[in-house]
Amino acid sequence: MFFPTQFPWAKDQTLGEHLEASGVSRRDFLEFCGQMAVLIGLTEMAAPRVAAALEGVKRPVVIWIQLQECTGCVESVLRSADPSIGELILNIVSLDYSHTLMAASGTAAEDALHASMKANMGEYLLVVTGSVPLAEDGMYTVIGGRTAKEILIEAAAGAKAVIGVGACAHWGSVQAAKPNPTGAVGIAEIIKDKPVVHLAGCPPIAETVTATLVHYLTFGGLPELDGDGRPRFAYGARIHDQCSRRANFDAGQYVEVFDDEAARKGWCLYKVGCKGPETFSPCPIFMWNMKTSWPIGAGHPCIGCTERGFWDTMTPFYDRLPNVAGIGIERTADTIGAALAVGTIAGVAAHATATTVHQIRSRKKAAAAAEGGHDGQD
Amino acid sequence: MTTSTPRHGPAPPPFADSPLFPLGRHSAPPSGDYRWVSPWGGPLRFTHWVAFLTITVLVITGFFINRPYFLTTGGPPQYLMGYIRLAHFIAAGLLVAAGLIRFYWLFAGNQFERLPALFPIRWRDWVNLWKQVKYYLMLEGDHGIYYIGHNPLQQLSYTFTYVIAIVMVISGFAMYGQASPGGLWYSLTQPMVLAVGGIQIVRLTHHLCTWWFIIFPIMHIYLVLRKDITEHGGGLSGIFSGGHYIKADIQYVDE
Ligand code: HEM
Ligand code: SF4
Ligand code: SF4
Repeated sequence: MFFPTQFPWAKDQTLGEHLEASGVSRRDFLEFCGQMAVLIGLTEMAAPRVAAALEGVKRPVVIWIQLQECTGCVESVLRSADPSIGELILNIVSLDYSHTLMAASGTAAEDALHASMKANMGEYLLVVTGSVPLAEDGMYTVIGGRTAKEILIEAAAGAKAVIGVGACAHWGSVQAAKPNPTGAVGIAEIIKDKPVVHLAGCPPIAETVTATLVHYLTFGGLPELDGDGRPRFAYGARIHDQCSRRANFDAGQYVEVFDDEAARKGWCLYKVGCKGPETFSPCPIFMWNMKTSWPIGAGHPCIGCTERGFWDTMTPFYDRLPNVAGIGIERTADTIGAALAVGTIAGVAAHATATTVHQIRSRKKAAAAAEGGHDGQD
Repeated sequence: MTTSTPRHGPAPPPFADSPLFPLGRHSAPPSGDYRWVSPWGGPLRFTHWVAFLTITVLVITGFFINRPYFLTTGGPPQYLMGYIRLAHFIAAGLLVAAGLIRFYWLFAGNQFERLPALFPIRWRDWVNLWKQVKYYLMLEGDHGIYYIGHNPLQQLSYTFTYVIAIVMVISGFAMYGQASPGGLWYSLTQPMVLAVGGIQIVRLTHHLCTWWFIIFPIMHIYLVLRKDITEHGGGLSGIFSGGHYIKADIQYVDE
C-alpha cells in the first residue's frame, strides 16, 4: 500500500522522491514513521525526525544470504504488518540477492551476488539467516559449490553492517541442540571484526526486522544492543514483565492443565511450563501476524525461543526446570534432591544405631576392664 | 575465649534419658574433670541464627515459587505469589547482610572464627581429617579428634556450605536482575549468565543447591547431638551461650 511495485525505487532517488512518485500521502508516511519510532524505542513525537531522516536516504543495498536454515524466518518476515516488510525489502531496500525472493537462479544468481558485492563494496547491508555448520569441513551446507562458512566470510568482508535474523544465525538453533551433529554455530562465531545484530527468535517477529532496518536507515547505524547482541528496543524486557497474565501470576492463579477452568479464564501459564520469566522478547507488545495475537495470548506457554540454547535449556517445554542428565536417564532436579535427602536420613539413622551399639559395647568393655582391674588389685 | 579452672562437666542433655534417644540412654556418663571454653563470639552466633531463620524462609518460599502448590484455582484474587516472592527477596537481603557480618568476622573474630579456621591448612589437619573419617566410620577410636573449634571434617563441610550459600546469592541475584535489564544486578551477573549457558542453568543450579540446605541440616544437627551426647561438652547449647565444656586433662589440637 505504501510502496507500490509499479514504481521501482531508482538507485539515486531519495526515499522522499520515491514515495512522492509512488503516490504515498504525507499523512500515511508520517503515520508509518510514528509506528516505527515507537517500535525502535522513541516516542511518536519523534515521527517527524524519523520522517526527515528517512526522506533523505538513497536506496541502500541489502544482500540476504541463507545458510543452514529452514526458510521459516523469511516466511515470517514476509508476513509483517502494513507496510509489509516484503514490500519494504523489495522496494525501499533493494534486495540484490535472496534465495527465496530473487527471480534469478543458478549461475545467474551467483553472478548477480558477486556483481552486487563488488559494486557496493563496503556499503551494503548483509542480512543472514541460518547457522554455519563447521563439522566435516562444513560439508553439511554447500551452496553453489561453496560451504556456508566460505559464503559468509566472503559476504561479510564487504558489508557495512550485519544483521542476523533468527535463532539459527544467533546461536545455531535446533541443529545446534545437543549433540549438534553438524557442528552448527551462530554467525557471530565467524564474523569477529564487525558488529552483528541478532534478531533472535525462532522465528523473530517481522516487525523487529522492519524496525531494525528503519533504525539503520534513520540513524545510519545499528541500534543499541543487549549483552547477547539483540537490539534493546525489542529484546529489552522479559515477556513475564510485559505479560497480560502477570496479574494472575502475582495473585497465584494458575492453569494446571490445558483444558481446566483456569485455562478458560485465561490465567497464568507458569505451572504448565511458561518460560516467560526467563525470556526477553517483544511478543506481548509487537504481537504476531499484524497484531492478531501472540502465543501466551492464545493460551500456550512461551517456550523461550529468543534465548540462546533454548532447545536444550528451556526443555521440557511444559515444565519449569531443565532435567539433569544422569547415567542413561534424565531426572528432575527434585528427584535427585529428594533421593539424596532420603539417603541422608537413612544414613543418619543407621549411623545413630551403630553409634549406640558401639557405646553399649565400649561401656561393657570398660566395666569388664574395671572388674578385671579390681580383681588384679585384690 | 575464656577458660576456667577444672571442675566437673555438665549433666547430660535433658533429652538424653528419653526413650526416643537410645543413643542417649546407652552412652557412657561424663567422667573426669571438665573446663569451660567459649569459642563462639556474639557476631558468629548472631549470624548463625540469622542464617538459620532466613534460609528456612528461603527454602520454603523458594520451593513454593518453583511449584505454587496451594491456592491455584478459585478464591478471590490475592497477591499470594507476590508476597511469597517478596518474602524470598527480603530473606535474601537479610542473608546477604548476615553474610557481610560473617565476612567481617573472618578477620576480626577469634582464632576459631577467623579465615584460617575455615580450611584444613596444616598437614596435621589433613592427617586428623582422615582419622576423623575413620572415627565416624567407627573403624578407629572411641572419640573424635579433640578440636575446640571445628575439626577438619567440619571445616570442609561448613566451608562448603558457605560456598553453596554464595552460589545461591549469585544465582539468586542473577535471576532477580532479569526484571530490570541494564540495572545493577543485571549488569553484574549477565556475563556469568551467558558463560554458564543461560538463565535456566542458573535457575537449575539455584534449585539443585537448595537441596543442600535440606541435606546439610540433617547431618549437622545429628552430628552436633551425637557429639553432645557421647562427649558431654554441652556443644548444642554452645551456639546459644557461646561456650561448652571440654575435658580438663586433654590437650586440644587447636588450643
Ligand atoms: C539459601 C538461600 C536460598 C534458597 C534455599 C533459595 C531457594 C530458591 C528456590 C528453590 C527457588 C525456586 C527456583 C525455581 O525452581 O524456579 C528460588 C527462586 C528464586 N530465588 Fe532463591 N533461594 C535462596 C537465596 C536467594 C537469594 C540470596 C536471592 C537473591 C535475590 C534469591 C532470589 C531468587 C529469585 C529471584 C528466584 C526466582 C523467583 C522467580 O522466578 O519468580 N534467592 N530460590
Ligand atoms: S503466562 Fe508466562 S509470562 Fe505470563 S505471567 Fe504467567 S509465567 Fe509470566
Ligand atoms: S512467546 Fe516465547 S516462545 Fe513464543 S514466539 Fe514469543 S519468545 Fe518465542
